[in-house]
Amino acid sequence: MSGPSASSSSLEAKPLRPAASAAKAREPLNVLIVGVGGQGVIMVSKALAWLAQSKGYEVKQSEVHGMAKRGGTVFSHVRFGPQVWSPTIPKGEADILVALEWAEGLRWLPYLKPGSGIFICDTKRIVPPFACLNRQPGARLRYSRETPAEVKAHVAEGYAIDATQMAAELGNERAANVVLIGALSTALDFPAEDWEKALSSFVPKKTIQVNLDAFRLGRSWIADARRGATAAEQAPLAPMPERSDAPYSVRLEITPQWCKSCDICVKLCPERCLRLNAERVAELAQPEKCTGCRLCELLCPDFAIRVHLDRPVVDATAAQGARL
Amino acid sequence: MSSTFVDSAADFDVRDYLRMDMMPHFLCPGCGHGIALRALLWAMHELGIAKDQLAVVSGIGCAGRLSAYIDANTFHVTHGRPLAYATGLALARPDLHVVVITGDGDCLAIGGNHLIHACRRNLKLTCLMLNNEIYGMTGGQVSPTTSETMLTSTTPLGNSEPSFDACALAAAAGAGFVGREVTRHVPRLKELIKAGLAHPGFAFVEVLSDCTEIFGRKNDLGSSPEMMLRQKSDIRPSAYRDSVDTPFRANELPTGILAQTNRPEYGAAYRRAAAAQRASAAAQAGSANAKEDS
Ligand SMILES: Cc1ncc(C[n+]2csc(CCOP(=O)(O)OP(=O)(O)O)c2C)c(N)n1
Ligand code: SF4
Ligand code: SF4
Repeated sequence: MSGPSASSSSLEAKPLRPAASAAKAREPLNVLIVGVGGQGVIMVSKALAWLAQSKGYEVKQSEVHGMAKRGGTVFSHVRFGPQVWSPTIPKGEADILVALEWAEGLRWLPYLKPGSGIFICDTKRIVPPFACLNRQPGARLRYSRETPAEVKAHVAEGYAIDATQMAAELGNERAANVVLIGALSTALDFPAEDWEKALSSFVPKKTIQVNLDAFRLGRSWIADARRGATAAEQAPLAPMPERSDAPYSVRLEITPQWCKSCDICVKLCPERCLRLNAERVAELAQPEKCTGCRLCELLCPDFAIRVHLDRPVVDATAAQGARL
Repeated sequence: MSSTFVDSAADFDVRDYLRMDMMPHFLCPGCGHGIALRALLWAMHELGIAKDQLAVVSGIGCAGRLSAYIDANTFHVTHGRPLAYATGLALARPDLHVVVITGDGDCLAIGGNHLIHACRRNLKLTCLMLNNEIYGMTGGQVSPTTSETMLTSTTPLGNSEPSFDACALAAAAGAGFVGREVTRHVPRLKELIKAGLAHPGFAFVEVLSDCTEIFGRKNDLGSSPEMMLRQKSDIRPSAYRDSVDTPFRANELPTGILAQTNRPEYGAAYRRAAAAQRASAAAQAGSANAKEDS
């Protein structure tokens, strides 16, 4: 495979060992793992919890994933130390934040310890449906627009890894979470062999090899990043899914003499941009909201509406710029 | 990742296929029959059927009235008999696309006999039955498809007759193509009608249509949009649908293509028999002449 494809924004090369310092302070070490349903957040936290427990630490893990199903937000708190009371990490108390998805990583940033927290984030972007709520032609997705450099400014130590791409190049995109485990392992005191033992017992038999490769790749990527070997300051984010609709302009032609005020177009328009006027004839009240979906045209029993989608009004370069 | 935006209705303007001097049509506000008419004309447009290649035969009723608005060859015939007229027309003019527009009363009550025999013959034509569960035009009498317990002017205590499943009836009687759709899903209805028009035998398409003014009002089914929203909707999971919607016929009836067979088509068989008969008559006449000559 061709070396790591994203960069680090590591601040300094000194190895950080929060586990050791935390144990000394008798404070638990807090690792928050976040992502999207189906990515393997729980697997990461289970491997970590199992390993910490095998080392004699007291471990508490709590997760919320039941409601997320596939595609929803999933998070898992892992705390370990000589003694742990609460199972959840308070805001601003996480020593390490591991994010399997870019926007989820940003969403949970306030949980990271200011000044010392380590941020490890996949640049994978999974755009949720509500980011597309504005269905206007050419509209921008409501998805985070922060660049890795901007994020770096907020964290003591941060890594933006294209782990999904790295795992894909190893032959299994689903091993991205294990690439991140590899990255996480460099910030903790446990020997690599023990991590590998833990992983081998958590992944399906057939995928042990690819997962071990993914783990080692994540580890070596962080080592390279610390040495500054892969530093391209502006890490390109993983490619953004493109909006499929080309820009166009919409015009509604309403024949008022044919409208019988049945209200079907008004109530079934997904954007609710029509209304019945004082004469109880349909009219386009909010033209800026109309996406030209044609539902009113198709459902009007009286053929009173014709939707015209005219030639594009936004030129191609402007449309390009609208994408993240 | 990127796909192109497909606007399938861009070059279909329904007004190109309407008799504009007859518009606006006489249907009540929100009546589903208008949507069914659009779907038929859209299907015709997409199949590239020219106006003079289309012959629409319709019976009596609000549904039957639709032929008057179509800019093509149209026959508005007697109550219950459009299939009988259409049978003669399709036999005589196999080059035409013959479409019957009929209501549930027109097709299943007074015209029920014609329906089962049209299905049995499997002559190539398309029958579009607009089912609104009622005799709309005559003020709301019970029809063979009125659901049980529904109120009509002739069932003031609620209908206690079981209703026909028209598609099951047509399939059992031998129709080569049977399908059903609701008016809310216009593109799907259009696709179903297209498949029916392309079928080489008898195609029966049932459209579940809302009679807003009579049936809806009598049964307190709410406004036109509310009636439409109550139609079967595949975008909601069925468990959710069943919990929020009041029981309605469309929720229980399957939609889409429900039966399709390749039974021999009656028109072709009839023309073959006629050609054979002509050939043997000509042969007989020939040998008779030969006898006279000798
Ligand atoms: C021989 C004859 N009998 C009765 C009538 C009266 N009639 C006119 S329309 C109609 C019922 C139509 O109902 P349906 O076919 O369901 O169509 P809808 O109006 O509901 O669309 C009846 C009974 C008639 N015109 N001719
Ligand atoms: S659907 Fe048609 S008839 Fe009904 S209110 Fe809208 S424009 Fe008027
Ligand atoms: S009576 Fe019913 S079927 Fe007839 S036009 Fe009115 S709403 Fe439509």
